[in-house]
Amino acid sequence: MIKKILIKISFLIVIIISLNIIYNLTFYKKDLAEKCEQILEIKNNQSTTDIFYFAESSNFNTRESDSIKNSISEITNFFYPKLKITAVNKPASHAGIFKKWLTQINLKEHKPKAIVITLNLRSFDAAWIHSKLETPLQESMVLAQPYPNLINRFLLSLQAFDNKTEQQREKEMLNDWENTQLIFPFPFKYKTVKEWDNSMANGSYLKADGSWDNDKIVLACHYVKSYAFNIKESNPRIKDYDEILNWCYINEVPLYLNLLAENIEYADSLVGKELVFLIKGNRDFLVKRYSKNNCNVVDNLELVSGKEFTDQTWTTEHYGYKGRMIIAKNLATILKKQFNNEYKIAY
Amino acid sequence: MLFNSLHFLFFLPIVVGFYYLLPPKLRWLLIFISSCYFYMAFIPKYIFILFFIIIIDYFSAIAIEKKQGKIKLLWLIASLSANILLLCFFKYFNFLNDNLAPIFSLFGKEFQPINLQIILPIGLSFHTFQSMSYTIEVYRGKQKAEKHIGYFANYVLFFPQMVAGPIERYDRLGQELKKKQNFIYQNISDGLKLVLFGLFVKMTIADNIAPFVNQIYKEPLKHSSEEVLIGVFMFSFQIYADFFGYSSIALGSARMLGIKIMDNFKTPYFSKSITEFWSRWHISLSTWFKDYLYIPLGGNRVAIPRWSLNILIVFMLSGFWHGANWTFVVWGALHGLMLLIERFFSKLFKFEIKAHWDFLNVILVVKTFIVTSFIWIFFRAENFNKAKEIICIIFVNNNIKFNLISLKVPLLAIFGLIIFDFFQYNTRFDIKLNTIRTPYRWVIYSFLLFCLFALSGTEKFPFIYFQF
Repeated sequence: MIKKILIKISFLIVIIISLNIIYNLTFYKKDLAEKCEQILEIKNNQSTTDIFYFAESSNFNTRESDSIKNSISEITNFFYPKLKITAVNKPASHAGIFKKWLTQINLKEHKPKAIVITLNLRSFDAAWIHSKLETPLQESMVLAQPYPNLINRFLLSLQAFDNKTEQQREKEMLNDWENTQLIFPFPFKYKTVKEWDNSMANGSYLKADGSWDNDKIVLACHYVKSYAFNIKESNPRIKDYDEILNWCYINEVPLYLNLLAENIEYADSLVGKELVFLIKGNRDFLVKRYSKNNCNVVDNLELVSGKEFTDQTWTTEHYGYKGRMIIAKNLATILKKQFNNEYKIAY
Repeated sequence: MLFNSLHFLFFLPIVVGFYYLLPPKLRWLLIFISSCYFYMAFIPKYIFILFFIIIIDYFSAIAIEKKQGKIKLLWLIASLSANILLLCFFKYFNFLNDNLAPIFSLFGKEFQPINLQIILPIGLSFHTFQSMSYTIEVYRGKQKAEKHIGYFANYVLFFPQMVAGPIERYDRLGQELKKKQNFIYQNISDGLKLVLFGLFVKMTIADNIAPFVNQIYKEPLKHSSEEVLIGVFMFSFQIYADFFGYSSIALGSARMLGIKIMDNFKTPYFSKSITEFWSRWHISLSTWFKDYLYIPLGGNRVAIPRWSLNILIVFMLSGFWHGANWTFVVWGALHGLMLLIERFFSKLFKFEIKAHWDFLNVILVVKTFIVTSFIWIFFRAENFNKAKEIICIIFVNNNIKFNLISLKVPLLAIFGLIIFDFFQYNTRFDIKLNTIRTPYRWVIYSFLLFCLFALSGTEKFPFIYFQF
């Protein structure tokens, strides 16, 4: 009996291995194109790519009035015309997604000369960590798991991933805002995001006629909710960036973390110096933590002025042409350390 | 817990493994704990509703057995009332609420709906009906009251069939649960075949059809007449694949524990009449209504007008059992009506359906499929307006172009279902599979595995019958 069962199990394993090969040859690429075109992009371009640029929407978003629509990665490429920079972007993605993209690079086939990954300060906040976009993002990454592709495809059908509902995520976010204590080295009246947000929401800005300036209040609240946090070791993004750093170190691929510019001007004028203190404090933490081994942090945090942000009524890292150019130029300058011979003045 | 989840794919082998490792005396406890765990994966606190049903019916049955005359009847009424009231509260409270306002307004009075925000416990209609059948059978003297509350609890809770049937009788499932099951290789093998087939039917066929059907039923006005018509037919296949898939997994999971539960489907779309359809579709519910409603109402031993009324009552109640909405009642009524029309014509023309297959039977099968598909519109549409829109678009061309590309995957899935239904006509997948030679059998396993792993729908749809 046991022999019979073992023979059948072995036969089943052989069948599944064969089916996996058939799947790779038939439907795999179609599924990738449907569910995660970024992986396909990596696979299709890796043999010719010198630098991979992994980013969220900050890379490609433009202002309608921009005469030049090039993305940050494209502008950076202008400084290095002999190198091929391949951008892999997906809105709302973060370090947890980038690290899975990294593992799709087949180093045996072709090793990239460098990898640039955006370091978005807001991606560390509760609103992004518990965003409703996280479920579709996680779904798109099922096919990138370190299992045979056929098994990944089945897991996708079973919806076996971090598949929380919007309500569950919102609850977690509200819980974070309510219970996570803000740390300041000086006395400050608000202990949590919720307290701070409530105070901003209750008539912090008045119009000349004495009525509430709701547009300004809403924006100020967004700034509080987006930036009022202290990055701690326990933040899931820290673990993800640590893994990215480790992967690059083990595989000897230089890594550039492109710390994106935030609208410090508006944060200061709308909310105050305490919020700016937190933003800069978080920046310092990240720069200190990741400026080691073969990793460089490209600090763009304060380089872009408030009016260069395309979204004036929301907190994003979407820049007009000038803003994208400033960041690309700064990145290109840091890349000179490694690619001095290929550098060409573009602007 | 959903059958089509990773959770279940780990849960089932663990339960089966422990089941055979444990001494037979303790197995009822394992079934009880695993069934509670299975149910609590949905809304944990609702397990207390099931405990309530178990306690009420367990003690009622013992009292019914001991007492005589009116007191015996009173115990039965008390037990049935408790079950029905529970069902009414959770399932029909909102329906009643919505319908009382227009009734009150007829008398010039105002009714303020009470909003209790009730969430229907999954499978409540199934548990209550299953449990009620037990007390009725004890009352009729056909069944002895169970003294071991653990076995009775497992009869109500048995995880493979607790949330969507088949609705079992105690003389069958109760005895199966009590049997000392030895590890038999064939049980595991047959069980696995049924689970694999059920997952294939649900995930590869039903879940690939569902997005198209949902799209059609959500916004019928945005689709061409042909698309809506195809959508209507597709829903027939979707609901069949969905429910049949569930039933196969239920059957297979139970079989792996050595427990045999009844077949709920027998290739229903090969039925030549509505009467035959109901002997092949959701068999456990049809027999429940036959035994506990149709026959007590007089069955077919009454005058034709009364018999016709009985048929309509049974079908309308069957519709209402499915969902607390008038659309379900109409769905049931239309089935009853079609059955009566069929009987009327077959008597008028002295027409009898032949047992062997000929061209006329093929026509009859197509006719029955078309009729049931149209009646399904009322089952699937969320309200009468949507049902009306669907029917209107089918018959009135709205000048929207027919888009065949989006139909490729669902049509292939349906083709697969028809092929497998031919394969298992008048038998069951595992039984049929055991009659063919090993190499061909493994080709079929490989095909099913590939379809399941590589071609299943990427959106997850809960089993349609879970909502009942």
